[in-house]
Amino acid sequence: MESFDWILQFLGRLHPLMVHFPIGLLVVALFMELLTLNGKRKGLREGIRWMVIIGAVSAILSTLFGWFLKSQDDYSGDLVDKHQYIGIATAVFSIAASILLQRTLQGKIKDFRLYRGVLMTTVILLTITGHLGANLTHGEDFLTGVLPGSDEGYDDSKGVALLAELKQVDSLDTAQQDRLNLEVRAIFAHNCYQCHSQNKQKGGLVLDSKEGVFAGGESGLSVVAGKPEESELFRRITLSPNHDEVMPKKGKVLKSSEIKLVEMWIKNGAHWSDQTLKVFPEAELALNMPSLPTSVQSHPIDKLVDSYFEEKGTEWPQEVNDHLFVRRAYLDIVGLLPSTQQIEKFVNDSDSNKREALIDSLLNDKHNYTQHWISFWNDLLRNDYSGTGFITGGRKQITDWLYNSLLTNKGYDQMVSELVNPSEASEGFIKGIEWRGVVNASQRTEMQAAQNIGQSLMGVNVKCASCHNSFVSNLTLEQSYGFASIFADSVLELNRCDKPLGRMAEVNFLYPELGEVEGESLEERLLNLAKVMVQPDNGRLYRTITNRIWQRLMGRGIIEPLDEMDNEPWNGDLLDWLAADFIESSYDLKHLIKRIMTSKTYQLRAAKYDRVEDLKADYVFTGPIVRRLSAEQFSDAVSQIVFPVYHTVEYDPSHAELKAQRVWHREVKFDRDVLPEPGKRYFRKTFSLSGGTISEATALLSVDHSYVIYVNSEKIASGNDWKRVGKYDVTQFLKPGKNVIAIEGENEGTIANPAGVLFSMKIKFETENEIQIDSDTTWKSSADIPKGEWTSIHFDDTSWNQVRNYGTANWGKLVNFNFNDENGEFARASLVKQHPFMKALGRPSRENVATTRDDNATLLQALELTNGEFFNGVLEEGAERWLKAYDKDSQKIVDNLYQQSFGRNPSEEESALLMGILGENASKEGLQDVFWSTLVLPEFQFIN
Amino acid sequence: MKENNTRREFIKKMSAASLAASATSIPLASFLSSCSKGPSSLPSTADTVILLWMAGGMAHTETFDPKAYVPYEKGVESKRVLSTFPKIPTVVDGLHFSKGLESIAGVMDKGAIIRSYKSADLGHILHTRHQYHWHTCYEPPQSVQAPHIGAWIAKELGPVNPVIPPFIAMGQRFTVGEAEELKAFHSAGFLGTEFGPFLIPDPAGGLDSVRPPKGMSLKRFEARYKLYKELANKSSFMQEGSDYQKESLMRSMEQSYRLLNSPEAKVFDLSEEPKEVYDTYNTGRFGLGCLLAKRLAQNGGRFISVSTEYEPFLGWDTHENGHTRAKKMKELIDRPIAQLVKDLDESGHLDRTLIILASEFSRDAILEGRPGEKVKDQVDQPDIIEDEKFYGMHRHFTDGSSILLWGGGIEKGLVYGKTADERPCSSIENPVVIDQVHQSIYHALGIHPETEYTIEGRPFYTTPDGHGKPILDLFGKPIA
Repeated sequence: MESFDWILQFLGRLHPLMVHFPIGLLVVALFMELLTLNGKRKGLREGIRWMVIIGAVSAILSTLFGWFLKSQDDYSGDLVDKHQYIGIATAVFSIAASILLQRTLQGKIKDFRLYRGVLMTTVILLTITGHLGANLTHGEDFLTGVLPGSDEGYDDSKGVALLAELKQVDSLDTAQQDRLNLEVRAIFAHNCYQCHSQNKQKGGLVLDSKEGVFAGGESGLSVVAGKPEESELFRRITLSPNHDEVMPKKGKVLKSSEIKLVEMWIKNGAHWSDQTLKVFPEAELALNMPSLPTSVQSHPIDKLVDSYFEEKGTEWPQEVNDHLFVRRAYLDIVGLLPSTQQIEKFVNDSDSNKREALIDSLLNDKHNYTQHWISFWNDLLRNDYSGTGFITGGRKQITDWLYNSLLTNKGYDQMVSELVNPSEASEGFIKGIEWRGVVNASQRTEMQAAQNIGQSLMGVNVKCASCHNSFVSNLTLEQSYGFASIFADSVLELNRCDKPLGRMAEVNFLYPELGEVEGESLEERLLNLAKVMVQPDNGRLYRTITNRIWQRLMGRGIIEPLDEMDNEPWNGDLLDWLAADFIESSYDLKHLIKRIMTSKTYQLRAAKYDRVEDLKADYVFTGPIVRRLSAEQFSDAVSQIVFPVYHTVEYDPSHAELKAQRVWHREVKFDRDVLPEPGKRYFRKTFSLSGGTISEATALLSVDHSYVIYVNSEKIASGNDWKRVGKYDVTQFLKPGKNVIAIEGENEGTIANPAGVLFSMKIKFETENEIQIDSDTTWKSSADIPKGEWTSIHFDDTSWNQVRNYGTANWGKLVNFNFNDENGEFARASLVKQHPFMKALGRPSRENVATTRDDNATLLQALELTNGEFFNGVLEEGAERWLKAYDKDSQKIVDNLYQQSFGRNPSEEESALLMGILGENASKEGLQDVFWSTLVLPEFQFIN
Repeated sequence: MKENNTRREFIKKMSAASLAASATSIPLASFLSSCSKGPSSLPSTADTVILLWMAGGMAHTETFDPKAYVPYEKGVESKRVLSTFPKIPTVVDGLHFSKGLESIAGVMDKGAIIRSYKSADLGHILHTRHQYHWHTCYEPPQSVQAPHIGAWIAKELGPVNPVIPPFIAMGQRFTVGEAEELKAFHSAGFLGTEFGPFLIPDPAGGLDSVRPPKGMSLKRFEARYKLYKELANKSSFMQEGSDYQKESLMRSMEQSYRLLNSPEAKVFDLSEEPKEVYDTYNTGRFGLGCLLAKRLAQNGGRFISVSTEYEPFLGWDTHENGHTRAKKMKELIDRPIAQLVKDLDESGHLDRTLIILASEFSRDAILEGRPGEKVKDQVDQPDIIEDEKFYGMHRHFTDGSSILLWGGGIEKGLVYGKTADERPCSSIENPVVIDQVHQSIYHALGIHPETEYTIEGRPFYTTPDGHGKPILDLFGKPIA
């Protein structure tokens, strides 16, 4: 039996030799067959015949030998099976091809088509078999590995150099030993950690710790100091690539320089260095303090960019004209469009310093600056008016603190200090989001604080390392638990992937070199952390925010992604100079914004990048890029031009209190209060007036959905849009003694939905006394059509029930619900609760830190703009308003629309197109369509 | 004839457009890297999924897994109450349901039942946390936003019919209590809004979401788009040259125009159904949702969910009057679900449509949470019931519940797993967790079990760490 086995094994090993016959013969046969198409080159026929026959025979033999090889040499796996099956199929088809050819030549089959088809199939199968076979021998990525883009990007040149250097010396000193060990550990990290680390301990072997390396795994000691030949690890990495036991894995072996380094390391006693291995590149914490190059440019940024351009051989591009600049500046600082007058004034200004003057004046427009930039900070600090967690008290806003910090232009060091060592007003940031119940260890609120501070403020990813040692940075589980412990009442126990490890964390900031944070109490630790973090030595903190502001203003960061501040900047000097300048300015955010915006670099025309990839790895700066208006900017711009998109805010900077409550008929289902069903409801409020003659009485009313209001049986008005506050002079309808307000309200729709009456009336007496009647739960309501004069003071409403206060959650605070004379205000989108329209346009739900917004246009977004009831409703109301304002004069409308939207007049062609839709006398529908066509234009939706 | 032609052309263009879109859909600073496992190479048994969502915690002992019936009488002890309805037979031998589910009982020969689903142990119960977990397979909160299973499917497979959004969620409004928590999982998460749910709270108004704006004629709609296109082409901004951002914007507008202008929108129009059919389904919004789901499944929907709607203390969330409320809920779901199964079966679509009925957890008269893990009670349940409003399942039970499945390769007539017949009515045979449910759905659709994307530098799998395994028994393949 045994003697028989060796023959099989021998034949099996001939498989790699044999396979070349069918490959050569059948492919050439097919090629020649193609030459005979259309009856040409008939002389080739006999040769082809023999090639096909010998090809088929050798294919059968190859298959057979392959089968021997598999059974004798212990190959297995998916890839082997696939290779086998397709190989068998190839043999079968090749036989079929030769039989068909034979029969065709004998005239039994009419023409060559069938045979040719089969031969073609054979060659295709052959190619696949061959490719799979090559993968078996050389590894699965043998072919694709050399394609551009599949390089794993691991640079081994450092190792090669080290090897060459150490080969020169006879014995290694300690420093050299350290370097050798760290290099070997880097080789482990790149090639072995994937399976052999504390995260994943395949075969019981752990290579990311000293103990692990010397303890070995299930196959015994992996490293025997001084003796590579006895070290299992060395044996495994030096096996042939096809060997079942080869490491890192079958088909993939280490580079020869790497193997030599490992050998050298073991031979020299397998020294273990105390230094921590930095597998991933890490940016210096401190800023390098670049000096400005000499240049013809005067602005510091331009000086630095000038030498960058020189290096890249780039000519300075053109700057934008005044029209584009003024639009950019307004949108970037206050988030609003400039009005026609503001544009004209700026363009006609002959002051050579006018751009800087405009930047200054916009930065001084404190409320508008705040109401624009607060969206950036809300995204960054995960602060929102609504979201998960609030319902169970597991989350807190920092809006008031944030608004005031921006309004007063608080120093960034101070802001950070107040975020990590918070007062009650700013504690929401490190408090995190707590859902009811039990959560995963890596999502406890202390860990959220560590993750969010890491990501938002320091540009480092703590999330990975809060579950296990990070795969993407040098952070370890110990470090993140040490960091999170700062925020805990007591030191935390380490958990790996939600399993407790029985080890306690050691309190530490991520970068211990910055200073000690341990303290007696939570308060002390937070105080220490704040001090350690904001010191100028922590350049990383300031570099991170500088990079974010640069990205906001220029479209792409100096480092990308913004949260991975260990990545290479495209211009490190520029970033560090700006960060240092920011520190110098006493951490003045407005100074930083101004610094960037006054540079020629910011004022360049938008650079064009055809592909999104051009902005990624090999990015070369050639100017700012066009930026999409944010959801908030777009909404506000439409509010400015057409009609208020939003009428209510969630945060009111004026803090004016509203006494009126939004009430509706109490509706109950299964003894629970529920949303009101559609239909009419009737409301009454009776009250007595004494106090003399009334000099003036004004009523404010907003009803969702519609109303008719009566005062003492007199019909006053009706309305059908809760967002439009009705403002009525009711002086003449009131009288001393008993009075009644009666409102017939209707809830529209097909299913239960929010409804409510909001009413407020101010009555002034000649005595200067003033009283106010507000909607509240003393009002009464009925769901049945009342019998009799229900709007009259004489009506008996004792059988009616008291109304229910439906709260403000569904409506927010109406900006126009006040007795002032001003009207037509709109709610700044940044202060509005998350809304489906803004969500579609990319405003993130701030459940997690969101430091960039998706600026890619999506179908859902386009649908929202195209047929969304919300947006079309705004346009419809706007059309009514404009028709009135411009007395239906189409030409005037078109000119004004273009001036307000783009800061320019329409061209003749554009004007003609628009007039074609509008006609001489504009209709509401026509104008609505003109609005739509203008506002969805790229020219409107982008900051150019 | 002409219409047909346009449609074909349209679909051709749409797929070209979506291909192009997917090529550039990665935003500038997105951390999303490409998927490591290709979805297309695996065999599938289904193209479409319909999720019938019993929001609020449906008691298994009152519906699809009845236990001993204890009729109401004054003075009955709470601990004796296991089921408040008598059993009824189904068409499958030996399989019994609870009274009030006669229609669904009649179609069980076309489907299977899992009786051993175990919800996660998340401590003090919050419905929306369990719902988040059910729909995303991840326990909230997460350090990145986890995608809904519908979003994963939309991302991996795209639409069946290019003009029907691949992820449609029906029946849930977001103006109710816990709305923010509901929104948190009705989301594509880090996959990007492109794969998010197309929301239809009221199925009767579904058509409005896919037609030109209300009151706008087709002619006007077309003229409006033409005007926009011409203005865009004429504007100096566009003539300055294109870049990827401008192109992406123009393309998305074109896609939306084509979708809204497409004859396929009729699929969303329930008035196209004969009156008898409409009436059979119309038990309320849920029933009409089933009707629309049927139309969508027949015309190329990908993932469609129909919810009985979650509103705290309503629907299946019975904190009192459990018996009478369960009766009403059964009236709401029984007829339309059975009809949906029958109609899809008759039209031949059931073979490639996987229907799943599930709830976040079950309920019990006594136990809150699960045995052995005492969590905070949320309902006062007297030991002795003196008032009928205390008769029913009022506490949240996470240790056993039922999942029903039909079509899409599911073994017919299969009963998988078992719960105990005495309290606690926990899963005692083949317990099933959410990872297995998701992987079974992915298995049916041919989506690789280890599908993942790299977000913020780390891999994020469809089921945590890519460890979940499908239940092959459901597909008639016993686990080796």
